[in-house]
Amino acid sequence: MKCTLHSENDYDLLELGGEIDLHYSPDLREAILASLKEGKPLLIDMADVSYIDSSGIASLVEGFQTAKSAKLAYGLLKISDPALQVLKLTRLDRVFSIFDEAEKFQAQL
Amino acid sequence: MTTSAIEIRDLVVDYGTRRILDDISFDIHQGEIIVIMGGSGAGKSTLLRCVLGLKKPTSGHIHMLGTDICHAAREELYELRKKMGVAFQQGALFTSMSVAENIQLPLREHTDLDENTIQIMTRIKLDMVNMLPYENLMPSELSGGMSKRAALARAIIMDPKILFFDEPSAGLDPITSAELDELIIMLKETLKMTIIVVTHELESAFAIADRIAILGEGKLIQIGTPEEIKNSQDDRVMDLLNRTPRENNMDKDEHLSRLTQDNR
Amino acid sequence: MIKTINNLGTTTIEAIEQIGRTFNLLLIIAWKIVQAPYRVFPIIKQVYFIGARSMTVILISGATIGMVLGLQFYNTLERFGSVGVLGSAVALSIIRELGPVMTALMVVGRAGSAICAELGIMRISEQIDALECMAIAPDKYLVAPKLVAGILSVPLLNFVFNVVAIGGGYFVGVILFGVAEGSYVNGMIDSVLWSDVRLGLVKSLIFGLLIMLICCAKGFYMHLGKYGSQGAEGVSRVTTDAVVISSVSVLFCDFLIGALMS
Repeated sequence: MKCTLHSENDYDLLELGGEIDLHYSPDLREAILASLKEGKPLLIDMADVSYIDSSGIASLVEGFQTAKSAKLAYGLLKISDPALQVLKLTRLDRVFSIFDEAEKFQAQL
Repeated sequence: MTTSAIEIRDLVVDYGTRRILDDISFDIHQGEIIVIMGGSGAGKSTLLRCVLGLKKPTSGHIHMLGTDICHAAREELYELRKKMGVAFQQGALFTSMSVAENIQLPLREHTDLDENTIQIMTRIKLDMVNMLPYENLMPSELSGGMSKRAALARAIIMDPKILFFDEPSAGLDPITSAELDELIIMLKETLKMTIIVVTHELESAFAIADRIAILGEGKLIQIGTPEEIKNSQDDRVMDLLNRTPRENNMDKDEHLSRLTQDNR
Repeated sequence: MIKTINNLGTTTIEAIEQIGRTFNLLLIIAWKIVQAPYRVFPIIKQVYFIGARSMTVILISGATIGMVLGLQFYNTLERFGSVGVLGSAVALSIIRELGPVMTALMVVGRAGSAICAELGIMRISEQIDALECMAIAPDKYLVAPKLVAGILSVPLLNFVFNVVAIGGGYFVGVILFGVAEGSYVNGMIDSVLWSDVRLGLVKSLIFGLLIMLICCAKGFYMHLGKYGSQGAEGVSRVTTDAVVISSVSVLFCDFLIGALMS
């Protein structure tokens, strides 16, 4: 799994890639929660995610919940096909805020 | 190189002098839904138990994801089982735990995931099988259909590569059965699972199967796509599909004496 | 005639298979229990289960037997003019023999049968298969805590039994029949040796393990025995078998241990 954090002007960008399964999802979870602790909105780039299982999804969901409580914006960017399929299966594609361009997320802040 | 999830070769199972499975050989391709059908006593449950590693066959090999489960050490078998999910016919839920605790058990035993993650994963799977409102019920409080759905949620909690389903529709009303069929197809398409279903129900079988394998008296009668099976010329297959009762060629005198004979 | 011999042969083979399986189970668990993961909480839960289920019957039977002993010994000793040794007689009989044996038999009836039935039901409803298929070793997960709990709780229950029984003897001897309190208590303290206590302790440890082992093995391996395909009726038969075999084994081992340690 690739998981790198970039600090943009008014938000954090978390770039994800590769396979996110039981082994890597704890790292993803930590990265998301650590970033949210800083108090900045979070956008997660999922273009390069080849596989994500329910533990990965659970980390994304927990992040969303934490962001909501902290009143921070939280979005998913350019979701890859495999990841989108899984989100549709769990009906979470309607729950998350999904963007196809980073600028659109930025505009909402 | 091979796209087989499971390879069964020359499987033979004897119970004393009775031969239950007679030289069964076939492959199960990765990512397919295969339905195993057959009359009662055809050997379906025995075949399933062998493939799950619960029964050692008299002879033969079963290769699953590269490992020969008939000759594997226990540790190897257990590693393999972490990638498998099994939904048993009666649910086989643990009666001392709630539905949610049942589903979470594999996570608690095999992973170090955070409590929140476990909770969310449990709820996601419960939602998939439409059991979310019942997560805190005990298994004894569930109906037959609910038990099966909870058992399915438990089987898929770790996103297994191979899913086994023993009689999924038995005892379910047609609507729930159809919903379950849809779910099985979605699991295959989105999570790319290989799914093996053992069933009696013809409608479900034809609705979901990529291929159907028909067993009869311990032998593999035919295996093919639903189309091929429907067009089969084999008597036994046609009887099964047309739900023809077994022929009873009866001798009148014999039958009379059977009914009136003194059986002491 | 041939049929009888046939049946005898079958029964003997079955019996040997069962004994073999039972010891096999013990060895497997002894091996696994020293490896991670270590499950302490299930053991505590089982100790509570065994103790809670058996405590009432232990208290009642302990008091009753103590009183019966007090009564009978008083009767006999009075004829020889030796009522002063009542305390020693009651205490030694309880600590060496009746305490361990009666405790074991009560636990078999209350907890052993329940555990055998529980495992039997889990076996026939495929719950044990489900554990196997989830890569959770059922012998370590289900049976091991019960075995350890047996070894821990039966000696504890034995201790309670002993206290209550000696108290029962005191009640009958001192309070009802007027034996001097001093002679009852001091006689007891003087004549009970560490070897007596040790005998009782060894017996109750071994009984605890034996009872749990037999009851667990019977239920756990139910599908391999003759009642395997009988469903609910099979469970009740297997449980009855387990109770009878455990009880008889306790009595037999009682003699064996007593003979070896004297």
